[in-house]
Amino acid sequence: MKYFTRILFATLTIFAFNSLAFAEEKIPVFPTTPVDVYTIYASLTIFWLAIIGLIVVIKMKLNEIERIQKLGIDREDKEAPLLE
Amino acid sequence: MIWLKCKNWIEERYDIAELKKLAKSKLVPQHCYDFLYYTGGITLFLFILQFITGMLLVFYYIPHVDFAYESIIDIVTKINMGWFFRAFHHWGAQLCIVFVFIHLFGTLLTKSYRKPREFIWVTGFILLVISIFFGLSGYLMLWDERAFAAVRVATGGAGNLPVVGSFIKIFLRGGTDVTGDTLIRFYAFHVAILPVLSLLLIGLHLLFVQYHGMSVPVSLEKKDNKGEPFFPNVFYKDMMIWLVVLGIVVTLAILLPPEIGKKANALAPPPEGIKPEWYFLFMLETLKLFPGTIYGFNGETIAIVCVSIGIFFFFLIPFIDRKSNRGERSPIFTIIAIVFLLYFITMTLVGFLS
Repeated sequence: MKYFTRILFATLTIFAFNSLAFAEEKIPVFPTTPVDVYTIYASLTIFWLAIIGLIVVIKMKLNEIERIQKLGIDREDKEAPLLE
Repeated sequence: MIWLKCKNWIEERYDIAELKKLAKSKLVPQHCYDFLYYTGGITLFLFILQFITGMLLVFYYIPHVDFAYESIIDIVTKINMGWFFRAFHHWGAQLCIVFVFIHLFGTLLTKSYRKPREFIWVTGFILLVISIFFGLSGYLMLWDERAFAAVRVATGGAGNLPVVGSFIKIFLRGGTDVTGDTLIRFYAFHVAILPVLSLLLIGLHLLFVQYHGMSVPVSLEKKDNKGEPFFPNVFYKDMMIWLVVLGIVVTLAILLPPEIGKKANALAPPPEGIKPEWYFLFMLETLKLFPGTIYGFNGETIAIVCVSIGIFFFFLIPFIDRKSNRGERSPIFTIIAIVFLLYFITMTLVGFLS
């Protein structure tokens, strides 16, 4: 019984490794380590937050520029007296 | 302080105030189709990103038949952030071609090509062809079985053109079949010839746009169109859109990094269900519509000739559409543009789903 179990185990191991050898190897195109995956997804989230933040800042700046343009105070007054 | 010193240093030498004045005086028309103006800016931004990521990848890529595939695997698995820059370059290229198409069809539907802007169309059209060739040549760099088969089919298709076909095929392949010579040739195109050509054409395209100003659709030309200063208004809007596009490319690169297949083998049969890049699918589906022989002539040759005539007609539209050139409405060319667009979308979808 003991020998039989050993032979069975050995046979199964050989078959298992054989099937692994014939399995199509897929090239990892993305880091596989869990810590790397976590860092990448966290960075992506922060990156999007930064983008949204920048967009908000630019939009606020643009609104301010448009308000000034509407008031007409951005234009140069050609008749304004010059201080010498 | 240093910033102020630098500013003064430059201002002493160059008339920056005059340049600012010029940028502020440049007006961009405001109307219901003005969102189409941003597609050109997005394409330019994506081109810049492609140049930057391409320069990073070229440090590690080896354009040799024995090492090309292995060098890509090294870039993806061993080089720090290599996987990201490769995926970014891939998705940047896909989006760049998408936006070139949107920009082109937008120009076609709003008749922005009409007199005196014919050369803007011509330079833009050549840039589209260059972008597609960029895609094809970049695809072969991977040197996997999918890329190998796709380039074999694409260059073989070009070889079906009468008279010049054989010359084009041999010129592109560097021989009768796709070999290591083709890889070196495509590499030269991808990193040297096409970038120089595209830089020249982008420069010319922008120069013409600055010279003629933004076009307004015929239907809105007679209306009182308010103009918006390019700087800072439109420039800031461009920046916001570019940020979103950058975010999309980065997200796609992280969530959907492109796979690498088996190494190319010239003697192995092509893998099953192989498809070219999406922008060639409409051409492939068109070829399928034609029978093997038509009145004794090769069906594939006739199909390639028909597609070439269609593309050439597309290119010549600004010179054919006389009504638009006179500032009149030309609904026939709007219909032609819609037919072209629908045909392209339908055939691409059919090719994608089949």
